[in-house]
Amino acid sequence: VKLRALVRLPSRIGWRDHVIGASLALAYFVWLLATARSLGFPRDEGMYFHAATDYVGWWRSLLDHAQDALKQSAIDGAFTDNHEHPVLMKTLFGVSWWILHEKWGLVKDASTAFRIPAMLVAGIGLWTTYLFGARAWSRRAGLVAAVLLGLMPAVFFHAHLACFDVPIMTMWILCVYVHWRAQETRSLGWALAVGVVFGLALETKHSAWFLPAVLVPHALFIQRREILRALRVGRVSIPASVVSMFVVGPIVFLALWPYLWNDTLARVQWWFEFHLNHEYYNIEYLGRNYFGPPSPKSYVPVMVLATVPTVTIVLFGIGAVERAANGARRLAHWGKRVLRIDGGTAWTNWWSDFVSGASSDRRETDLLLLLSLAAALSPWLRAKTPIFGGTKHWLTAYPALALFAGRGFDLVTAAMGRALPRLDPRRWLAAEAGLFASVVAAPLVVTVHSHPYGIAAYVPLVGGTAGGATLGLNRQFWGYTSQNAAEEYLNEQAPRGASVFIHDTTWDAWARMQQEGRVRKDLRATGAPNDGQIALVEHELHMNEVDYSIWTAFGSVTPVYVVLHDGVPMVSIYRRP
Amino acid sequence: VGILELGAHVVQTHGAVDTADWHAARDYVASQAKPDDLVTFAPRWVDPVGREQLGPALATLEREARPDETRFPRAFEVSIRGEHDPLLEGWRQSAEQRFGRVTVTTLENPSPVHVLDDLVSLVNGQRMQASRVDGDRVSDCTFTHAGTQSGGLGAGPALPADRFVCAAGGFVAATVAADLDYRPRRCIYAPPPGGHSFVRLRFLGVRLGTSIHGHHGLYVEAERNKTGSPVTITFRVGDAVVGSVVHHDGDGWKPFEFDTRALAASASKNDQGVPQVDLVADIESANGERRMYCFEADTR
Repeated sequence: VKLRALVRLPSRIGWRDHVIGASLALAYFVWLLATARSLGFPRDEGMYFHAATDYVGWWRSLLDHAQDALKQSAIDGAFTDNHEHPVLMKTLFGVSWWILHEKWGLVKDASTAFRIPAMLVAGIGLWTTYLFGARAWSRRAGLVAAVLLGLMPAVFFHAHLACFDVPIMTMWILCVYVHWRAQETRSLGWALAVGVVFGLALETKHSAWFLPAVLVPHALFIQRREILRALRVGRVSIPASVVSMFVVGPIVFLALWPYLWNDTLARVQWWFEFHLNHEYYNIEYLGRNYFGPPSPKSYVPVMVLATVPTVTIVLFGIGAVERAANGARRLAHWGKRVLRIDGGTAWTNWWSDFVSGASSDRRETDLLLLLSLAAALSPWLRAKTPIFGGTKHWLTAYPALALFAGRGFDLVTAAMGRALPRLDPRRWLAAEAGLFASVVAAPLVVTVHSHPYGIAAYVPLVGGTAGGATLGLNRQFWGYTSQNAAEEYLNEQAPRGASVFIHDTTWDAWARMQQEGRVRKDLRATGAPNDGQIALVEHELHMNEVDYSIWTAFGSVTPVYVVLHDGVPMVSIYRRP
Repeated sequence: VGILELGAHVVQTHGAVDTADWHAARDYVASQAKPDDLVTFAPRWVDPVGREQLGPALATLEREARPDETRFPRAFEVSIRGEHDPLLEGWRQSAEQRFGRVTVTTLENPSPVHVLDDLVSLVNGQRMQASRVDGDRVSDCTFTHAGTQSGGLGAGPALPADRFVCAAGGFVAATVAADLDYRPRRCIYAPPPGGHSFVRLRFLGVRLGTSIHGHHGLYVEAERNKTGSPVTITFRVGDAVVGSVVHHDGDGWKPFEFDTRALAASASKNDQGVPQVDLVADIESANGERRMYCFEADTR
């Protein structure tokens, strides 16, 4: 009886929900960990491995020789590397590598040890999403939202990497959630937590710059009455969470980034300018290579539709439309009150009926999620914003998208209940499980199948990977597929000691793949096709020129092997005749 | 929707082409295609697989990096997923064979032309001379055989082992360049030095017909920013100008055509009675900065 009471979920969201969220997080982490070795190293990840090693070295020297470590020369020596990005995740990567791989030897691959913090943080993203959904609408909605978030091929791909895109997705939704809780509870603890989490988000990636655009209007709207009341008596009332965000947030941010402890203003200014004037890289979209402004306005909607499972989008649509309708009713209700509209005519009667269904929410969840979506997506709608990172730059929008999808699932379940009113509890449970399976099955299968080509994976709506290629959508970037070339051809077929033109793969990444036994150790990397006995081309539209250089260098247009995903070329391998 | 999506995924991921289908298509094309025919693949992204599976005898450099389709009397389009090469639109279909998931469509060119001489094929020490002209001073470029020179992204077209090396700087060679649409173009790489200097190419014993037909462009990364000086190519026979055309950044792989009927009528004839001349091409630009220029031309 005690066990049953322990397992039974009370209506109030509590510790049991944290157990559910943590279980989701753990399951996702284990899945990511189990599949990590089959994913090569993108260019950026190699740089972060390097920086992480430098950073953790500095922290160790701080423990051993604090005075020396705190000198500017020591700080700059360690933190100048990759100083265009803040250090939270890189420090965690380094700590994980140092403890789990170097010191304790628990994790065999150094790369996996570097990646573990990002994978854990991805799990926390699902945990937070579950809690958010459970508190906002229902446990069912939270569960579906968290699962659908994890089952987006792009999220799954980036969640493996020792990079910042999924960590900032998690920090974003965590910050929004903590802020939401702060508005609900009005407690000092939650308000302080907003500042801390915002600081951590800033320390994760510059995408956090946009969080105030979500949190400030929401807090002001929620506390509008208090603010107006205070203004009437000549006082200024600012929500505590907002104060915390702008006071505690920057303190946390600066405290965790030693590079900013000297020349602070100049270095912060440089950080802003670097990202506001970021150079453009190449990326293919609808068969055209974009390498500068203007970026196509259709990029975000088309790429979201082409990469997020369609059932998730449909559920999002159902949930979002229902919430929008409720918002419209509330607006109409407000208008009715302000305009003093009473019944009498057909039109006013309709209006009265329309507003009667409006439900209010003092946490203004719909507004918050709408702002979260808008702030995460809108920078990528600007013509001047570079789009080279594909969907990874707006992963921060996906928790809100998934939460609306969770709400959509609630509505579909309710509709099923209305359609099948006479089902006994056991059959109802089976029907609900079947509905859940019907929603989750496609995203699960599509995501599993996408690995390790998550960037090349497009959803069935656009014809899958082959459909994406036909549409002229980007297949990969940053040269991580040389590992697949090794697995499928080089390790078995390359002559002993052969020189290999490694194309877009970095030297560091190649060396690490050799250290970890992913690529044969005797193969020698070269930086020019004419120096290689073997040459790789990782297929992207703008990389065609490298393909043609190999034709000339090798005197042949015939690859000896092509690495495919669903029949679509990922890497061509040439061998000097 | 979820079930439909799952079903579509299963269908789409089981649509990959068997090697046996490719090989059957290869055997069919090998039995049918003549050296003048085009062999092409659709959709465009399947080209690497097509080259791998059909092999170098069918997927040749000349077919892959063709200047355009006009010179081919017939095309074998090897396609999957029901796709077609849009560049062959308007060609008449004369046959279609299916080999599992691979379809070979035979298409007839509605207005084929006969190429007399392809200038790209004349880039060698016997049929072409190259020189750099700096004001009054003409310095010859030597035809050499050295190691190939190539790089990664942004390095420009690779230089083949056989190339003209100019003492005053620069190279001339037949190579493959990526045009503005990232298509491969087999062409004569002849970057103009800029200012008052220019590159002069003399093609020896070129057979003349009704026209000189060609294309020119710059390596994609040299022209896509549209900041470079225009490049002019002028064709001459003796003192007579055959034609001149300017390439501006952003023009891409730009076609040109000059009427040579009058010139052919007055030219000396070879043993077969075909008019034959030494054709000169001068390539110049006001500024040589990143003028990674490439052109192709034929007489027809």
